[in-house]
Amino acid sequence: MDDIRMNALDVQHLSYRYRTRQDFALRDISFDVQPGELVLVAGASGCGKTTLMRCINGLIPRSYKGGELSGEIRILGQDPTPLKLADISQMVGTVLQDPERQIVGAYVLNDVAFGLENLAVPREEILRRVDKVLDYLEISHLRDRETYALSGGEKQKVAIADVLVMEPDILVLDEPLANLDPASAEEALVLIRQLADSGKSILLIEHRVESVLSIRPDKALFLEEGELVYYGEIDGFLEAVNPFDVKLPAEVAIARMKERGAPPPPPKRARQENVDPLVVMENVRFGYVPEREVLHDVSLEIYPGDVIAVLGPNGAGKTTLVRHLIGLEKPTSGRVLLEGRDTRDITVAQAAHTVGFVFQNPSHMLFAPTVWEELAFGPRNLGFDEVRVARNVQRSLEIMDLTEFADISPLALSYGQQRRVGIGAVLAMESKILVMDEPTAGQDYRHYTQFMNAIVQMPVEAIVFITHDIDLAIQYANRVILVHDGRVVADGAPEEVLADEERLEQCRLRPTSLLRLNLMHVEHTGTFLPLEALVGVV
Amino acid sequence: MIVTWSYKDRDTIIQRLDPRARLIFMFCAIIAIIQVWDFRILVAWLGVALGAFFLARLTWQETRRFWMVVLPIITMLVTITALTGRGGEEAYKVTHPIWSTVLFGRFTFTISAEQLAFAASQFVRMVTMATFGLLVPFTIHPAQYGVTFRGLGMSDKFAVATDLAFRLVPTVAKDFQVTLDAQRARGYELERKGGGLFQQIRNLAPLIVPVTIGTILSGEDIIDAMDLRAFGAKPKRTWVIELKYEPRDYVLIAAGIIVLVVTTVANVLGYGNLWVPGWLLPG
Repeated sequence: MDDIRMNALDVQHLSYRYRTRQDFALRDISFDVQPGELVLVAGASGCGKTTLMRCINGLIPRSYKGGELSGEIRILGQDPTPLKLADISQMVGTVLQDPERQIVGAYVLNDVAFGLENLAVPREEILRRVDKVLDYLEISHLRDRETYALSGGEKQKVAIADVLVMEPDILVLDEPLANLDPASAEEALVLIRQLADSGKSILLIEHRVESVLSIRPDKALFLEEGELVYYGEIDGFLEAVNPFDVKLPAEVAIARMKERGAPPPPPKRARQENVDPLVVMENVRFGYVPEREVLHDVSLEIYPGDVIAVLGPNGAGKTTLVRHLIGLEKPTSGRVLLEGRDTRDITVAQAAHTVGFVFQNPSHMLFAPTVWEELAFGPRNLGFDEVRVARNVQRSLEIMDLTEFADISPLALSYGQQRRVGIGAVLAMESKILVMDEPTAGQDYRHYTQFMNAIVQMPVEAIVFITHDIDLAIQYANRVILVHDGRVVADGAPEEVLADEERLEQCRLRPTSLLRLNLMHVEHTGTFLPLEALVGVV
Repeated sequence: MIVTWSYKDRDTIIQRLDPRARLIFMFCAIIAIIQVWDFRILVAWLGVALGAFFLARLTWQETRRFWMVVLPIITMLVTITALTGRGGEEAYKVTHPIWSTVLFGRFTFTISAEQLAFAASQFVRMVTMATFGLLVPFTIHPAQYGVTFRGLGMSDKFAVATDLAFRLVPTVAKDFQVTLDAQRARGYELERKGGGLFQQIRNLAPLIVPVTIGTILSGEDIIDAMDLRAFGAKPKRTWVIELKYEPRDYVLIAAGIIVLVVTTVANVLGYGNLWVPGWLLPG
């Protein structure tokens, strides 16, 4: 019993079923976390990671009512059942998946002070603690800034400050790296390690397993369809999980593939020679407000056969650049030609015949009563006949692994599944160019590998995707564009652009194990190879 | 994410005034204005409102969107009122027709001097109130919303909720724009023609549904986020932002109350009614 009392967190036989669901989201989960332990929580989308977080931080059953909850949780030796959410929040600090959904204050000071204000801590004490935590996170310069205007990395740090200021002993972080560029992710991870070293117990839910391994988590917890598949040391975790479910370091994944047999590598498209460009950007300059230019003199062409990865730090102008491709933004000076037509002379709806644009956040587009209808919306707008609509929808459902959800509301799906609906909805439009803004953010490895493999084989003439994931560029792209501070700083084959470590550093990118392996072997291979193809080389 | 109104921090005489004093003055001014139909007094009030607008160093450029929405609505309301002759029953009893015609051979349509004077007064009155209203989001620091509402007597919880609700308007506007962009990228055209009224309303579903659902879901997220940070844990909360009245704030509040009292007394005594200039009357 004494040992149990010493645990920061003790979960025994925890099961939970949401009121509106038939299946249990969690089944018989048991584990414990010691003070100062950093635990990586991994698993596919919909495996129960977020539900586990809600059980620990008390949102279940206090905010999610009517479900079926059983088992026992003890927080710092205490049974949280009779406690109010406000009491639990002083023991368990939660950083939600999307920091934008957590930030309530208009300014950083208001936001970080919010929890302490609610606890009626004296004003001087609040100011002292806010300044201390901002200083600890090295974001004191943000104190009087508007939260809305912060970059993704800055918002993430403010969200962490929001909970740290309340001095909880346990932190639950739900995919804190999902929207960060690699350098910001690295900074966040270093901070998380420091917090664990200072005695905080941390549950870190994250798909970017390889990145998390760099800060030596003490344990890993792997969930599959609501069940605990593995809980223990990291070495055992690397052995236990399927390398097709979780993105492991390249060396580990290759060794595992050698044992189990490697699947065929994703097909890489060859760039075409002597063809007319589909898109021409000529000396494009643009700013959302006159006094601040976001794009500075950008010129590039997109050809049939191109699979382009657009890489760069948060706030570099990547999304602004690709929004010009479909005419959502018009250049302040210069021009964008879409199959020879100036985007100023056509509507966005007309441009959609040529460019299919997948927005980052699916919740801004989903409205139809069923997934099938959602996928049919775009093709119908483009005037396709019903036979063609049905064919395209069916194909999109299969590619995005959504067939089983065809007849249910897209709003009832998980965030990861909604993102797949968003991509499928644009795939069904048969546009010549497919443009995706962070297609893999918040997606589990198995699903994004599956749909990216299928997308590159589709009869789309060119594909452009924004990503922070260098490995995604290596696996699928035949061209990489590096954007920094509103300028294209490099444009070429992956082996040309990604070999320059100094330039990657400048663009807040970090070499991955897959990139390093490719750099070691590129002299022999002549090109960058996807992971599966490296199995035969390494 | 909850965004804020387009606010620029400026060291102006308006922004140096305590936001509570400004809101109290504005409240008094609006109550005074709605008791008056005299065009000359309303023009004076418009002068006060525009004076505040310029003293705050606001520009047409930064408030353009507000006016692009508000001015057409005011113009439409005033025009409909003027053409139908409805709405002015309380302001005038006698009419002096200055122009009339027969429509479709059956309906006699008349414009009176009182209708025109009423329309002009109504227009000035609405623009004045809109200008006062505009000063709130454009000159009050968003970090001060909550504590301002608290300082005006609201409970802690209600003040926080009002702060969030106040920022909901620009948030929904931003979400609407993102949704419109996302649907246009799927070939959707807002201006699509054809179909009856029901079909036209259905055509708006791709915009209305995501924005509405998104607003509800983000509302739930905000509630979760607030609960996880002990919102409502104590009967009384601390406010980290402090407001302090200066002598000039008391002067402004006193001015507002005096104007309100004087106008109310004048109104009771029969002053401030609709003024029809002599040159407008026929004959």
